[in-house]
Amino acid sequence: MSGLIACDTPELARLSRLMDARETLGTIFAQTRRRLAARHGEPALEPWAQGVLAMVEVNAGASALLGFGRASVELAGRLSPAALGETGLAAAALCREAGGRATTAALDGFVEIAPRLAGEGERAIWWRALLTLAQAAPECVEAVAAQARRLVLPGHVAEFEGFIAAGLKAAGRDRGRRRAFFALEDALALGLLARIGAGPGFAELEAGLTRVLAALWGTAPNLQPLPPAGGEAPRRVNIAGSVIRLPDVFPGVQGEAARRLYLAAALHAGAHLHVGNPRFPIRKFRPVQVALAGLIEDARVETLAMARYPGLRRLWAPFHVATPEDGPTLAALLARVARGLFDPAYEDPDALVGKAQALFAAAHERLDDPALSLGIGTRLANDIGQRRLRFDARGHVVEPAYRDDGLGLWDFSDIDPEVSDEIEMMVEAARIERREGEDGAPDEAPSREPAGRARPKAAAETGPVIASYPEWDAQAGIERPDWTSVRAMLPAPGDIRPLHRALEQAGPARARIARLVKAAKVGRASRLKRQAEGHDLDIDAAIEAVIARRAGETPDLRVFRSTALTQRDLAVLVLVDMSQSTRERLADGTSVLDVEKLAVAMLAEALAALGDAFALFAFASNGRDDVRVCEVKGFDVPYDMAATARLAGLTSGLSTRLGAGLRHVGAQIARVRSFRKLVLVLTDGEPSDIDVAAPDLVEDARRVVLQLRVQGIDTFGVTLDPGGVGSGPAIFGKANSMPVRRIEDLPLRLSDLYFRLARR
Amino acid sequence: MPSALSSISADPSANLAVDPSPDLAAFRIAVEPYYRPVGDEIAVFEAAWRHRLPVMLKGPTGCGKTRFVEHMAWRLGRPLITVAAHEDMTAADLAGRFLLAPEGTVWQDGPLTQAVRHGALCYLDEIVEARQDTTVVIHPLTDARRLLPLEKRNEQVRAHEDFQLVISYNPGYQSAVKDLKESTKQRFVAIAFDYPAPELEAEIVMREAGADLALARILVAIAACSRNLRGQGLDEGASTRMLIHAGRLASGGVSLEAAVEAAIVLPITDDADMRRALNAAISACLP
Repeated sequence: MSGLIACDTPELARLSRLMDARETLGTIFAQTRRRLAARHGEPALEPWAQGVLAMVEVNAGASALLGFGRASVELAGRLSPAALGETGLAAAALCREAGGRATTAALDGFVEIAPRLAGEGERAIWWRALLTLAQAAPECVEAVAAQARRLVLPGHVAEFEGFIAAGLKAAGRDRGRRRAFFALEDALALGLLARIGAGPGFAELEAGLTRVLAALWGTAPNLQPLPPAGGEAPRRVNIAGSVIRLPDVFPGVQGEAARRLYLAAALHAGAHLHVGNPRFPIRKFRPVQVALAGLIEDARVETLAMARYPGLRRLWAPFHVATPEDGPTLAALLARVARGLFDPAYEDPDALVGKAQALFAAAHERLDDPALSLGIGTRLANDIGQRRLRFDARGHVVEPAYRDDGLGLWDFSDIDPEVSDEIEMMVEAARIERREGEDGAPDEAPSREPAGRARPKAAAETGPVIASYPEWDAQAGIERPDWTSVRAMLPAPGDIRPLHRALEQAGPARARIARLVKAAKVGRASRLKRQAEGHDLDIDAAIEAVIARRAGETPDLRVFRSTALTQRDLAVLVLVDMSQSTRERLADGTSVLDVEKLAVAMLAEALAALGDAFALFAFASNGRDDVRVCEVKGFDVPYDMAATARLAGLTSGLSTRLGAGLRHVGAQIARVRSFRKLVLVLTDGEPSDIDVAAPDLVEDARRVVLQLRVQGIDTFGVTLDPGGVGSGPAIFGKANSMPVRRIEDLPLRLSDLYFRLARR
Repeated sequence: MPSALSSISADPSANLAVDPSPDLAAFRIAVEPYYRPVGDEIAVFEAAWRHRLPVMLKGPTGCGKTRFVEHMAWRLGRPLITVAAHEDMTAADLAGRFLLAPEGTVWQDGPLTQAVRHGALCYLDEIVEARQDTTVVIHPLTDARRLLPLEKRNEQVRAHEDFQLVISYNPGYQSAVKDLKESTKQRFVAIAFDYPAPELEAEIVMREAGADLALARILVAIAACSRNLRGQGLDEGASTRMLIHAGRLASGGVSLEAAVEAAIVLPITDDADMRRALNAAISACLP
């Protein structure tokens, strides 16, 4: 055979010589070469031979070489010998990092997905991503290659590379986590997998959906993402109490279709919440009954919603496409029942659909009665039982896709143990974790999955001493020098999502603050009268000038009007009290500190938008030697995600030695160059500490406030003081203290105060 | 639409006339302006009128405050002088000033002084827009003194017995930056206005836009949706006035979708995301 090789294909000749020496491998390669030669001609095989040789050189091993042989044959029609050669080179590079088994798997995966890869660029992505993975985590390459079909979708090849990068970043040096991620056993991996090839998802659409639901039903809905559970992305919306939980993405639905599906799904869930039944007790209903009652209830709430908003029919109708051709399964039949109930004009050969339509139409007069869903559902379920149609509780998925999983309709607290297994199967099928021991409080929001979230790190207990300050001893009537030590507390970054959610829910207040910002930002144009030049005549001045001339006096020639923008030159420092008393909970479960954080975050947003210099500090104390001050944001750093995270990470504890805190922040703001300086103190009560009587600390704080005023720093106290008996006025002065009676009002009051102060 | 109403700025001849006719004929309203009472606002206004108490009308834009004043002026048979307050308005713009004439300086009454002298209803629209010093001018007029001091003329104008002051005030704009002083607020009898109940609003839209009941109901449902978005990205929901505009467009041959888009969605927001959400809600309202 080697005699046939002309000397213008030296690589091919070299390959032949190598292969001739190996028995099985040689035969297979000879065959492969013949088939390629028949298609492309011998001379064109040179780059291919280079690829094979590269693999041989890295000692790829028989299985990898055979894998490349298979790939060459399979892809001969699709790829040129040059492209195959590139593949061989890439496989060789991978082999060097990850070994023969991984390379074999990668080649097999490549064959599977080759039809999805458009052009050289996309093929290179596959190999490049695997090589990146091999360099960091060689043990994971095989697992990823085995999942090629799920990870590489046509048109979304680049996202594969993103997936690999995300996995490496998420797992870090944790081998176990890395292995789980790339074997697709990790929740984060599943979440990312679901996003590959899926069009706009919950994150992109949430704001819009919130608005549409608020517009139609009058109250802002509580929308949350439904995390993947049990190894798969959720496929249907879930309603839990008043919370609508939507999947992160609807797999396989993209672009405008995804928008429509989310809208249809959210409005369907909204109809449940606003015209539906609170919850049916599950008692001893069988799964098929539960499914059918849910189906009727869906139709009932949709009919009621469409009576109010007729346009909803246009939104939902395109999803009802079930026909008898879909197959003889019960699931297909149920989809047709859903269609029949939605569209009374739909006719179906199956009597069950007709019966459902007739029963539902007969109940037209009492659509407001949720009991009819149970009644009709039970009758239809009995029919299904008599026809011996098997209901697959585990595999049941509500159709059409926009409808919720139906479990929000049921109250599981009084479940009959005899049927609980079957129901649980169904529940499991819908992939919702049942919350044991829940007392059925309808408004309790499900706790969110902690997947992918860094656990807040505990702050260092005591930091270095950064300053010492004197303190006023009211008993002795002297100021004791260097009495208190301030320690820097490194703020631990916290989870900013609860804070963001609170901000989102404070929509109206934020809109109001945004208006204030807009008004303040432009700067109020102040009008200057009696100017030597200007754009307009100052009529009053002009008339006086004429009068003066006629009277023989010297007229004032400044007869123009002009306008000037008032310049803002203002620095503000917000000092937040995070002592133990801020741990108190309000009626809705948020703590006082949470409200303080929200208030500060809203003000910070406004200040950042205004461009005013500002800083955020928090303080607590544990005796005079341990006054902890936490710099959330300094004057010279921007208010960014890191600052927000530090704000979110503040935790309650210890006491309130206000005077020391004030002295420290007073020293900070004193260094800033600005015409006006404001310190806003946000505290929830009385100064106190473990080693001194509270009245003394009030005296001390009062003294600091007066000292700061001498330095041109205005101090204002916003005190959370529901009883109106606090010592805020005693410390800050009556005009400079603002007791907030309702703690919930704090965010708005704080910002209002700022804008009021900033104008003066 | 009755158009007997003329505002000061719209009628320069009235502005410059050195001595307008004492009966203020140009300011009288001849034809009844349509007004559909929602509650007891007419009775409250008439009671306030009997005692010449100053009245403050509070409510969102386009809910019928101005129309109500016109209607009351017609009902009481008094001329109505309307002043639209603006940021640059000074006390002199309201009270009057000396002007130059060939023979020397001439005093020109401002709209407020005219109303005070000759006994008209004076309606200060969106009073918060004016500078705060302007609002102080009205203080002596709105308590037991009922007089307007003109310090430049060294004159105290005692109010005509038929003079009454009405101001409007939109709490939607209320903010720390622009708000009435407490001392101003507390001088007024206030009447709160809001968008009428759906059935009533549909009736008003029908009457004013010449629309049929079905169309009016759809428009009212759309307005309800937009008002639900107040604070969710919209500063104000669609006003009754907007609905009337949309209704006129739609009954004038424009398709309902286009009319709603042109008269409600586009004016109300510049934010593309908000527009998309609003359109989705409107689409649900359309048959």
